[in-house]
Order: sequence, then C-alpha cells, then structure tokens
Amino acid sequence: MTTTSQESGNEQSTEGHLSFRPGPGDRQPAAYARRRRSFEVAIAFVAPISFFALWQIASTSGWLDERFFPAPTTVWSTAVELVRTGELQESLAISTRRALIGLAFGVVSGCAMGILLGLSPLWRAALEPFLSACYTVPKLALLPLLLLIFGIGEAPKIVLIAITVFFFVWIATMEAVMSMPESYREAGRSLGAGPWQAMRHIVIPAILPQIFVSIRLSAGVSILVIVGAEFVQGGDGIGYLIWHSWSLLRAEAMYVGIVAVALLGFVLGEVVKWVGRLLMPWAPRDAGRAVM
Amino acid sequence: MRSGNAVEARAVERVFHSRKRDIHALGPVDLDVRDGEFVCVVGPSGCGKSTLLRMIAGLVTPSAGELRVRVKDGRPDAAMVFQDYSIFPWKTVLANIRLGLDLAKVERREADRLARSWAAKTGLSDFLDAYPASLSGGMRQRVAIARALAPNPQILLMDEPFAALDAQLRQVLQDELLEVWQADGRRTVVLVTHSLEEAALLGDRILVMSNRPGRLLADQEVPFERPRRPELRATPEFVAFREQLWHLLRDEVRSA
Repeated sequence: MTTTSQESGNEQSTEGHLSFRPGPGDRQPAAYARRRRSFEVAIAFVAPISFFALWQIASTSGWLDERFFPAPTTVWSTAVELVRTGELQESLAISTRRALIGLAFGVVSGCAMGILLGLSPLWRAALEPFLSACYTVPKLALLPLLLLIFGIGEAPKIVLIAITVFFFVWIATMEAVMSMPESYREAGRSLGAGPWQAMRHIVIPAILPQIFVSIRLSAGVSILVIVGAEFVQGGDGIGYLIWHSWSLLRAEAMYVGIVAVALLGFVLGEVVKWVGRLLMPWAPRDAGRAVM
Repeated sequence: MRSGNAVEARAVERVFHSRKRDIHALGPVDLDVRDGEFVCVVGPSGCGKSTLLRMIAGLVTPSAGELRVRVKDGRPDAAMVFQDYSIFPWKTVLANIRLGLDLAKVERREADRLARSWAAKTGLSDFLDAYPASLSGGMRQRVAIARALAPNPQILLMDEPFAALDAQLRQVLQDELLEVWQADGRRTVVLVTHSLEEAALLGDRILVMSNRPGRLLADQEVPFERPRRPELRATPEFVAFREQLWHLLRDEVRSA
C-alpha cells in the first residue's frame, strides 16, 4: 500500500486504497485540544465585539438616530454614572430579590405538585387536565387580578413569578418521576424502604437532574416576568428603570438597564448550574447542558 | 408453614391484565424452598420465572393460590439482586451497599462496618467512594450483590444477575458467588437464570419451567458435592448433567 506525505490524516492513494494516518489531533492531542479550546473561547467574543463595533460606527457616523440608538461608549459612561449614584445597583437588588423569592416559592410548590402527580395516577387524573389548561394562560395577564387580591406591595409581583415558575417545574418534575425506571423503586422496596425513605433515597435524587434543568429555565423566566411586571406596575426595580428611562427619552439609561438584565440572567443561570453541581456530585459536569 | 421451609407456594398463579388482553404469566405452581437451599429456576423467556421471584420479594401479589415467605419485621426476609438498573447512580459504592442498613435504621458506625466487610468480600474495597457511573458492569453487579447481602436477609433472590455481562465476566462472577455463598454459611438463595451451566454450578436443586403460563416441568437435584470448585465445569459429569438438563428444556425453548 502506498502512503502519502500529506499533513492531514486521510488520503486517497493511487491504487484505489485508502491510507489512514494520524492527523494533527492524533499526533499531539494535548496541544491540539488546547489550541482548539483557545480558539473556541476567542470566537465566542467575535460576535458580541463585532456587534458593538458596528453599533458604535453606525451611531457616531449618524446612520442611526443617536436619540434612540446612542453609541455603546455613551451607554458605558451612563452606566458608570448610574453605578456612581447607586441607582443601578439598587434597581438590580430590588428586582433580584423579587425574582429569587418568587423562584423559591415556584420551585418548591412545582416540585411538590410534580412528585404528587408523578407518583399518583389518581391525583394525576384529578388535576393534570386542569393544570395543563392553566399552563397556557399568559401569567402577566393575571397581574391586575393579583394586584386586586394582594394589594400593591411586593406580594403580587412575587406571586406572579411563583405562578409562572410553578408550571415549568411542575411539568419537568412530573415527567421525571413518571420516566424513572421502575426497577429503582422496586430495588428500594425490596430493601425495605417505606414511602418517605423511598422519597429521600430514591425519588428525589433520581429526578434532581431534570429539576435543575427546569430551575435553570425558570431562573431566566423569572427575570423576564419581573421586568415585565415592573414595566406596568410600581416605581422601582430594573424593569421600572428601563421603562421610565424610555419615557423620559433617556435611551442610554434604558440600554444600561437592558444589558444589566441580560447579565443578571446569565449570572443567575450560572449560580443554578453551580448549585446543581454541588448537589449532584455523581452527575457528569455538564449533565444539565446535555439535557437542554 | 412447615418449619424448615423458607418459601412455600401452593397453586400460585399470576395473571397480568392489560387493556388489550389478559396474560396468564405463571402457574399454577407448587413449590417448597428449604432453609439454606440454593435453588435455581430455569425456563424459556417469558415463562414467568421472574414473576415468581418478584412474588417472593413481595413486589407482586399472586392472582390465585397462596405464597408463604419467611418474614422479619413484617416483610419478606428477602433481598433481591436485579439484572440491571438497580444500584443507584447518586450513591457511592459504600452508600449503595449500606442502603438496606440505613433503611433499617442501623446505627451508622455499625452499618459502615458491615458495608465495608461485604465490600471486602465482593472485591470492592478499592472503590468505596466511587460512583457507579465510573464502574464496569461486573463491578456494578458486585455492588448489587453486596447491597442485597449487607442487611443479612434469610433469603437472597437473584433475577438473572449476570445476564447483562459478557461471557468471561459472567463466569468470573459465578465463581465469586459460589465462593461467597459457600463461605457464608448457606443462606437460602433462589436464582433465576437462562444459563444451565450457571444453574448446575451453583444450585442444590434446579427447577425447570415450561412455556407461559409457567409450570414446573422438572425438579432436579444437582448431584455434585459441596463445597464445589469452579473447575467442576470441566468435568465429564458436569457436562453430562448439563446435557441432561438441556434435554428437559429443549422442546420448551423450541416451541416458545
């Protein structure tokens, strides 16, 4: 068999045979993987940097109306100003607090309902159709009702987030319980596990990865909801900052708020992933990512 | 229940109901398993031998007849080793083995000691803190066996425990089980298997079952002395005995 002197791995020879030889990734796997990783990190920055560069050029050269599309440098100096006055941190703290409390209530009630309906065909028959119908109701449309019921304090916004999150977590948890291999539960029973012991040692750990996927989704959703709610009601929070800046024609402050929301969502998602890794040391590092 | 019997089945049957039709899976079956006996159940696929085992474990109830099993604290004094998917990926090897003891609220230090000693007997001492995901199939079944034995059940139930392993590994684990069981003071075992060789090597008695609905076709004493050694497999007597079992079973498997 003839071989070729080419750098790349697989080459057609003249005799009608294929000659397989080690490629660059096979000869120096460690160095190759390192270069590959640096490259991947680098190209992750290409998209946002080009985006902001184009924006900057378009804005300063007058292709875009500066009143509505201020240059990123203008937005940056506004951000510095808002941080100096404390306005940005305060708004973020208020919204984060609402989102987290709502998220916590939603996750706990969603898990409980998911486990109940996942384990009990009777409860499933009784409640699943009703809850499924409620799932599709746009929750923001409930805000006026919640204001009527809970007044105009923190409660209606937190309840709104909790309701939204509840459905995500409920569905994921119920499906996870129902798709759990029967042999897990049988193994528990054959070792003498009672219902509560089975819950603690078997059901909850078995469904934890899917629960965390739903919490990651919910964390993002809770921020969407709180920003939306703050648009329409109340006088504080990051959503209010965005909406209020827009109505005062302070577009640069609005962009600061929008970017801050994006960063907040990113950070919250990372925190959930980190907590998930702490609670599930048995799972491969990116288990949640693989499911998503 | 006669003393000296760990399990007694009298005209036991099981029917599974599904939306389309009823499946008569098993019976009627009459059966006695004596204390300290190693009984192997062989039969064609779907003959209800796993169902019989699960009834003894208390996971399935009989549709007719009566099944009596020795109990401790109000539940069958039996532990089960499943074919797969039974050790918990979220628990370390040690925590898996200790689970039955934890569930019985055995004090932690004592539970750890027992779990470690069973891990040592099954060759798992170097893997106590490993999670099952990093273990081979053979190691996982060793964990399943150690976990079943740790709470010291009177009866050990094994549902094709080595069927998912490759042929060489299966032989290694059969040899290990033989050694562990013979050193362990003759616990009662009911083992369901497809392998006549496995049944002949391990069992005191072999029950041959028919096609569905499974009934007992034959009840065969295994004529080899204890303690047995793995080398028994290569003897002419062993080969002849396995052939004899195959004759009993062949027609059932063909018509299955």
